[in-house]
Amino acid sequence: MKDAVTSLSSAVSSASRRYAPRTWMLILLTALVAVSVVSLLIGAGEVGPRRVLGLLHGVSDSEAQFIVWELRAPRTLIGIVVGIALGVAGALLQAISRNPLAEPGLLGVSAGAAFAVALALVLGASAATLRISVAQLGALIGCVCVLSVARFRGVGNDPVRLVLAGAAFSGLLGSLTSLMLLYDQRAADEIRFWVVGSLAGRRLDDLVAVLPSLLVAAIAVVIMARPLAALALGERAASGLGHHPTLIRWVAVGCVALLVGAATAIAGPIAFVGLVVPFVARAFAGPDIRRTLWFCLPIGPLIVLSADIISRVVVAPSELPLGVLTALCGAPVLIAVVRAKRLPML
Amino acid sequence: MEAHFNGERPEIVGVTREINIEAVLAQQPDLILAAAQLSEEQYQLLSRIAPTVVPHAQPLAFDSWKAEARLYGQALNREAEIDDAIATVDQRISELAAAIDDANAGGTAVLARWMPNGPMVMSKELIATGLVAEVGLEVQDAGLVAEGHPHSDILSLENLSQVDSDWLFLATLNADGQAALDAAKQSAAFTRLDVVKRDQVVAVNGQLWSSANGPLAAQAILDDIENALLP
Repeated sequence: MKDAVTSLSSAVSSASRRYAPRTWMLILLTALVAVSVVSLLIGAGEVGPRRVLGLLHGVSDSEAQFIVWELRAPRTLIGIVVGIALGVAGALLQAISRNPLAEPGLLGVSAGAAFAVALALVLGASAATLRISVAQLGALIGCVCVLSVARFRGVGNDPVRLVLAGAAFSGLLGSLTSLMLLYDQRAADEIRFWVVGSLAGRRLDDLVAVLPSLLVAAIAVVIMARPLAALALGERAASGLGHHPTLIRWVAVGCVALLVGAATAIAGPIAFVGLVVPFVARAFAGPDIRRTLWFCLPIGPLIVLSADIISRVVVAPSELPLGVLTALCGAPVLIAVVRAKRLPML
Repeated sequence: MEAHFNGERPEIVGVTREINIEAVLAQQPDLILAAAQLSEEQYQLLSRIAPTVVPHAQPLAFDSWKAEARLYGQALNREAEIDDAIATVDQRISELAAAIDDANAGGTAVLARWMPNGPMVMSKELIATGLVAEVGLEVQDAGLVAEGHPHSDILSLENLSQVDSDWLFLATLNADGQAALDAAKQSAAFTRLDVVKRDQVVAVNGQLWSSANGPLAAQAILDDIENALLP
C-alpha cells in the first residue's frame, strides 16, 4: 500500500512534468465536466443514462426530468461547492500549520461544527439559517482549540502530534455528540445526519444560505495567496517581505472555519477530502501554495463527485452516506502518507 | 394509557436490548418479566435478583405479541384477564375492519420512518403493520425489507415512488409526528408522491409503531388507525 501510494504519487508527479501545468488544468477541468455529467446520468433509482439522454431528444418523461433537475442537479452543484471548500480549506490548513497531514476533519474542525449543530438542535433550534452560522462558529472554535493545544504544548512543528491533538479533540467532541444523541432521542434522527455526512436530500436553499460566507472566504483567500507563499519561506523571510505571519495565520484559520463550516452545514462532516485533495494537487502543482490552491479547485469537486456517484450505486436502491465512503478511501491514504519514507515538508 | 398507571408511572430500567441491572435491583422486584430479546448473560444476572420470565425468541412475526402477553399473564396468574384483553383487541380489529370496509377507506399501505436523507421502509412483520393488515389494508414493503429485519436501509430519494401507496404511515421518533411530516414535506421528492397529494399521509409515533408491545400498545395503534382512516 505504502509503496503503491509512493509510486503512484511519483508517477503522477513525473507525469505532471510531461505537460505544462496549464495543460493539466485543462485536462482536470475536462474531467470535472465529464464527472458532473455522469453525476446527472447515474443514480440509485431506475432513471438511467438512457432515459436522461432521452430528455435531450425531447422525450417527455416527467419522472426522469424530476430526478435529474430536482435531485441530481442540486446534489451535483452542492458536491462541487463542498469539494472546492474542503479542498481549499485543507490546502490552507496544511500551509499555515506546515503540516501535510493537517486536515479539517482531523483537526477537530468538522467535529466542532457537528457538535455545535447538535447542541443547537438539542437546545431547540431548528431554523435552517441558524444552523449554518452555528456550524461555522463551531468549526472556528474547534480549529482554534486544536491549533492552540498543539502550539501550547510546544509541538506545533511536529506533524504527527498535531494530528494526535486533533484526533483526541475530535474524539472528545464526537463522544459529547453521541452523549446528546442518547440524551435526546427526539433529536436523534436529525443529529445522525451530523455524524456522517451525505449529499442526498440536501436542498439548493442550503447552498444559497452559505454562499455569502463562501464569497467572503474566497476574497480572503485571493488576497492571502501571496502572503501565504511568502510564509512558506519562513517567518523571518515573510516579515522581511512586509507580511505579518501571525495575522496571516489567523486570517487563514478564519477562512478554514468559514469554508469547512459552510461545507459541514450543507453536507455534514465529510472526512479526508481536505487531506487528499491538497495531496493530489501538490503532485500536479509542486510546493507553491498559489498553484496548489488553483489545482484544488477542479480536484476537490472531482473527488467528492466521484465518491458521491459511487455511494449512489454500491447499495442501490439505498445509498451509502458519502462520509462513510470518503473515510473508507481516505484513511488508507493518510496511513500511506504517514508511513511514506519522507513526509513532504511544507 | 395513563389510566392504567393509577397516576404512578413505572420506573424505566433500561431498553429492550440492554437493561440496567442496578436499577432493577433497586426496585427489589418479586418477579421480572423481560422482553424476548434479553441476552443469556443478562438473564443469568436477572434471575439471581428474582424469578425471570422470558418469552422464547421468535423470528420477527406480527402476532407474536399475543403468545408473549399470555406467557406474562401465566406468570402473574392472571391468564383470564390477558385472554380478555387479547379478545377485546381481536374484536376491535374485526369491528374496525368492517367499518373500514363500509367506508371504503382501505387500500394499500406502507409504514416508513422519515430520515433527513430518505425514508426507511418498516417490515410487514411488526405489530403495527400486522394490525394495519388485519383491519383490511394491504401492507407493502416494496420487497425492500430483508427477512427477519425490522426495517430497510435508508431508501434513496430517487426511489421514493416505491413507498407511494393509498396510505402512508410516517413514523418518527419525535414526540410530535407533525414535525416529522413537515420536515418530509420540505423535500420535493416527497411532496410529489400521490399519497401526499391526496393528503393520506398519517404521522404516527415511532416508539409506539415500531417498538411497543402488548394489548395496550395494540389498542393505541388501533386508535391511530381509526382516527386516520375513519375521521
